[in-house]
Amino acid sequence: MGAMGKSRVLFGVLSALVIVSAASAGGSSTPGVTAKQILIGGTTPLSGPASAYAAVAKGADAYFKYVNDHGGVLGRSIKYKYEDDAYDPSQTIAKVRDLVQSDKVFAIYNTLGTEQNLAVRSYLNQLKVPQLLVASGASTWGNDYKKYPWTIGYQPSYRGEAAIYGRYIAKTRPTARIGVLYQNDAYGKELIAGLQRGLGKKAKLIVSKQGYDVTDTDVKSQIARLKSKKVNTLMVFATPKFAIQSYSSARLLGWRPLVFVNVVASASNTMTIAALASSKRQTEGSISLAFLKDPINPRWVNDKAVKLFRTILKKYNGGEGLTDYYNVYGMSSAFTLVDALRHSGKNLTRASVMHAVTHLNERNNPFVLPGIVVKTTATSRFPITQARLERYHNGQWVYFGPLVHVG
Amino acid sequence: MSRVLRVAMGVVIAAAAVALVLVLPHWLSDAKAAELARAGCFFIAIIGLNLVTGYTGQISLGQGALMAVGAYTTAILTADHGFRDLWTIPLAGLVAMAAGFALGLPARRLSGLYLALATFAFAVAMPALLKRFSGLTGGSQGINLFDQALNRSTGALGHVHVLGWTLATNDFLFYLTWGIGLVLAGAAWLLVRGRIGRAFRAVRDSEVAAASAGINTGFYKTLAFGISGFYAGVGGSLFVLASNWFVSPSTFGFDKSLLLIVGAVVGGLGSLAGMALGALFIQFVPDWAANVSNAPGAPSVFFGAAIVLVMILLPGGLGGLLRRLTEPLTRRL
Repeated sequence: MGAMGKSRVLFGVLSALVIVSAASAGGSSTPGVTAKQILIGGTTPLSGPASAYAAVAKGADAYFKYVNDHGGVLGRSIKYKYEDDAYDPSQTIAKVRDLVQSDKVFAIYNTLGTEQNLAVRSYLNQLKVPQLLVASGASTWGNDYKKYPWTIGYQPSYRGEAAIYGRYIAKTRPTARIGVLYQNDAYGKELIAGLQRGLGKKAKLIVSKQGYDVTDTDVKSQIARLKSKKVNTLMVFATPKFAIQSYSSARLLGWRPLVFVNVVASASNTMTIAALASSKRQTEGSISLAFLKDPINPRWVNDKAVKLFRTILKKYNGGEGLTDYYNVYGMSSAFTLVDALRHSGKNLTRASVMHAVTHLNERNNPFVLPGIVVKTTATSRFPITQARLERYHNGQWVYFGPLVHVG
Repeated sequence: MSRVLRVAMGVVIAAAAVALVLVLPHWLSDAKAAELARAGCFFIAIIGLNLVTGYTGQISLGQGALMAVGAYTTAILTADHGFRDLWTIPLAGLVAMAAGFALGLPARRLSGLYLALATFAFAVAMPALLKRFSGLTGGSQGINLFDQALNRSTGALGHVHVLGWTLATNDFLFYLTWGIGLVLAGAAWLLVRGRIGRAFRAVRDSEVAAASAGINTGFYKTLAFGISGFYAGVGGSLFVLASNWFVSPSTFGFDKSLLLIVGAVVGGLGSLAGMALGALFIQFVPDWAANVSNAPGAPSVFFGAAIVLVMILLPGGLGGLLRRLTEPLTRRL
């Protein structure tokens, strides 16, 4: 580190010469890409209040290892370096800078969290480093591509998701008293905006909105306040830890509203814990949305993709997370990245992967629900825009209604 | 020891400190340089705290909140008003100085525990205040210059070029914080040696005696708070840069204020050289404690034990130890 000494300059010149000669020998000058390997990086909360999401990176990593053992991508293996940011945007910045400047990764991929990705978006776009398949449903990833052409999301937008709940409530519960528990950040606020849009003229059914900060220890007081407003329809726009707490706090108060719990907090393994922390009756009838195959749903137990999912986890993740929905998310996202890298061709550049990832037409992603097409165009940058409503019944999610458009 | 010799000693110590700061990054990893840069911010804030608590004898538990004032001054000016981050550092010092004067007003009437409580209230209220005025402060998400003012954040995009030298960003931040820290430490050294410093010490040792000697005790107490606010503001401003250009209310919870008091006491109240050691203590010992065991509550116990141990073994703090080590040498001189 530090000021460049003479010997360092010499060393720098020498290494530059080596790199130049390597490039002219048929290698590529794209950062992170060699003849044998593609290095990508990202952050994920391996610790901290949102550590339930760690599997989003671990599932993806296991899938890449599986692909590597089956020939890799056009002869190159994928190395995915994911770092812990503890769900703290300040740490995301430090880790992502390090990945870009020291590790010289080809792209940042699958970084988790809305605030976390917002924190590094300007930086990555300024340096023209792809920010691929952001693990957050904020609609800005798909909407603001003119300003941030190097960024693209993955999952259905939060705005669209909450709008579906809103329309459903407006239709089936026109006299509901809606209360919202939301994470007090860009993520929670976008879900509220979507809910209001979906409710349309019925937006006044919302009688109370209670926010929590991700640094809070619990949501007891928020739940108590919602109960005191005589809410009978509770929207849980939270991350898993706080979603579980909202069930257990409501149970302590003897309060049993109909609960809508948003996608990123409604994984079946989270719901299992929520039922244990409260009661079976407390979680019964909850409503959410799904776009991935749930590994503990009996419907998919013998599904080919879920069997593959288990084989991969046994071989490459020490057999951990066999029932973890977030591992499925990771694998689905990894499948799409591999697909995009294949379509980028042998001469892989940052520009070519952006082209590929904005021209997806994936009908064969085995990890998403049947019928869902992962599709993008240059001007429509939401890869997944379909999902199904589901209701929690007897300890598992049961789909109801057809595939719906989440927009 | 003659006056000349004492000044010579001071010059030698200062030169050694400067040399140490200059060469240190050569042996440091990037991550360590960043941590030391943050320790440098604590160093500056603790010098200020030392002036008010160590030299003037007024207990302040609000230094972390004053750091927050400086930090948000830098964040708001850079994000919303087009300032380059570096130019906001002195402004942050001045704004926090004003806040320090305001915090010092109760000191004219209160003393001892009552003053400590009043300043503590300021520290406890600060995060809530920052969340309350979310239009200005960004609420609980805080302000992210790395996103909102990337091009005005020095070093955010890569290396920093200074006078023909190319520095890694974290090395630059290390030099910046400790460079400013040493300059401000020198200023504090001159201050406590002069007329104002004598008045501070007089107030500390006996307010009645000071007043009867014609010293306006209220004025000097408030002045001490104001100056300490300036130091806290500069430290807070630099802390934003050294924390990835990011600040939020949780950065400056009341635990920061307590931590700074710990740093000042462990460093040795009334000793300037000890302040650097105190800053390193509060930067690294909590991390060390977390590594010893991560059982619930264990890190706090280890950190607490480390503080108690230092206080039992070294009642004069680490600065007192330094003095004891160098005393035989200086006496012979």
